[in-house]
Amino acid sequence: MTGSGRKLEYGFVLAVMALALSLSATGQTVVAPPAAPATRSIAKAEIPPVPSMFGESTERSIKVDPSINLSLCVSEGTLKVNGWTRNELRVFVQDGSNFEFKTQQTSPKTGDPVWVMVTAVSDRNKVVPRSECIRGGDIEIDIPVNAAVNVKGQDVTSTIDGVRKASVKIIGGNTFIRNVTDGVTVSGGQGGIAVESSSGAMSLDSTTGNIVVFEAGPSDIGDIFRAKTNGGAISLEKITHRQIEVNSISGSVSYSGSLLNGGSYSFGTSNGSIRLTLPTDTSSTVSASYGFGAFRSEIPITTITENISEGPVKSTVGRIGGGDSTLRLTTNNGSISIRKP
Amino acid sequence: MKQDCLDIGIIQAFLDGELAHTESARVSGHVATCDACALMLADAEDESALVFPALEREFASLVPTQRLWSKINASIETEKQSAPFWQRAWAFITLNLTTPSFVAAAGMIVVFGIAALLIIDRGYKSPQVAGVRPVQVSAPQPAAPPVASASSPDTVVSNIPETRPIMAEQISLRSAVRRPRTTTVTGTPAFASPDVSNGYFPGEESYVKTIASLSRSVESAKDAVMRPGERVAYERDMAVVDDAIAKMRTEVKRNPRNESAKQVLYSSYQNKIDLLNSVSQKEELVASLK
Ligand SMILES: [Zn+2]
Repeated sequence: MTGSGRKLEYGFVLAVMALALSLSATGQTVVAPPAAPATRSIAKAEIPPVPSMFGESTERSIKVDPSINLSLCVSEGTLKVNGWTRNELRVFVQDGSNFEFKTQQTSPKTGDPVWVMVTAVSDRNKVVPRSECIRGGDIEIDIPVNAAVNVKGQDVTSTIDGVRKASVKIIGGNTFIRNVTDGVTVSGGQGGIAVESSSGAMSLDSTTGNIVVFEAGPSDIGDIFRAKTNGGAISLEKITHRQIEVNSISGSVSYSGSLLNGGSYSFGTSNGSIRLTLPTDTSSTVSASYGFGAFRSEIPITTITENISEGPVKSTVGRIGGGDSTLRLTTNNGSISIRKP
Repeated sequence: MKQDCLDIGIIQAFLDGELAHTESARVSGHVATCDACALMLADAEDESALVFPALEREFASLVPTQRLWSKINASIETEKQSAPFWQRAWAFITLNLTTPSFVAAAGMIVVFGIAALLIIDRGYKSPQVAGVRPVQVSAPQPAAPPVASASSPDTVVSNIPETRPIMAEQISLRSAVRRPRTTTVTGTPAFASPDVSNGYFPGEESYVKTIASLSRSVESAKDAVMRPGERVAYERDMAVVDDAIAKMRTEVKRNPRNESAKQVLYSSYQNKIDLLNSVSQKEELVASLK
């Protein structure tokens, strides 16, 4: 059962990838010219749909302010958002809903839209869509690099690359974020979340999905990194935020990187292990509370207080190096380990 | 070893979220009092963690996948060296798709998921639950209040979870936005002041009340809003949290000066609130998608 089941799953993954590939192969070739500047406060796109060779596809573009805010709802599909250097928003939907741009706000200076919604509209020969959410096989969006992108939806596999801010709130589907410069908020539902090479405050949460982050840091002093999943595992590498809060209920947590002086780090899980890989010159005050399992460290810890007698909770407070950061570790059923790189 | 020790099958089922709530609670309860089984659970848990690198290898050996990936990467990437990360990330975050429990639940999802969505589609409404928003019971250290300007669309992407109510309003693509209410419990007394007159430990009452009100709304909604696989995981996580709360309460009662037990107790309460919240947040999202 598991063997054939896994094969099926791979098949599914392959299909998703094939879709993504076909999108990248066909989608990027047709680029409409920039639309005339929208001067009215509520303006619809001036560009008619561009017919495509593949099924029902629509492409529209509109001139926008460089710091555009984009909001869209996707009921299902694969979404790919790419930052580019033009002051233009381009949306391409393949095998999906027709849509329109709704300008919610324009710049008082330039008159260009600063807040645009992409909403589904009915086709003449089709039933009226139930919602304003776009349904698409593949949705591809090009948007100024300084944009803030807000996605909500049902089952969406999304990739957001090279914009200023990204916010995703979905029920299921995996979310990939990379090269976002000023803040990432993902509420991924059952889906997994992967973030790479991004900065700003981060808030990532998932119910059953895993969270993996590689190379993230603050864009402003005080930017906080938060990651939370109920059933998934969390894996973090090279995070340079000074305040990190990580929590899982029944998954394991792993962290690999430095603890910055003055930083505050909190890792917790109810039913999993916590594994940290820290450089040998780490300077931190460690406070560990753990139930079953052991607390092991390859890096020497000077114990300040310790309670490992009977009872459901053991605790150790100790110092690594000069104790210049705060590290709090909490697990109920699981072990805690600190390793050298 | 005790008489009622768990076999590895039960433990595996527990980890995979295949057990019913009561059974799941029995397992976590037993594990809490039996070192042998706790060890077995820890080992099994470590083994499931090892599936990840194994899966990665398996992924790498799938030639078409590999080729597809390099093409996809080529189209979305600027620097080549990050490709391995995405491969790894993909393998990692799709791991939950390949666990046996998910595969088992997949069939159910197809049937019940569609049914549930149909039910949801037919004017499913629960304003009571919709009013429940992210709850953060601020225990020892109160966070500084976030600053968010409602007039600027920039706040649509919010860095701070506490500003979600505003974000939710702006991100909604419907004109008739339901106005969420933030449930925030503040003013939790410090741990130090003993107050057992009402049967609660210091600071405990606000958690308990918040959980009670959240539970009422979530209980009625969880069947409709969660898919079977997710529902199973939810029940397992709830069992884990409930067990931790029960254990820590007993310990704090026995030894009120055990600060570690208090710390775990309060973080378990917060876990429970977060867990309940994930259901009401999802319900709200489902409603807003229509
Ligand atoms: Zn046992």
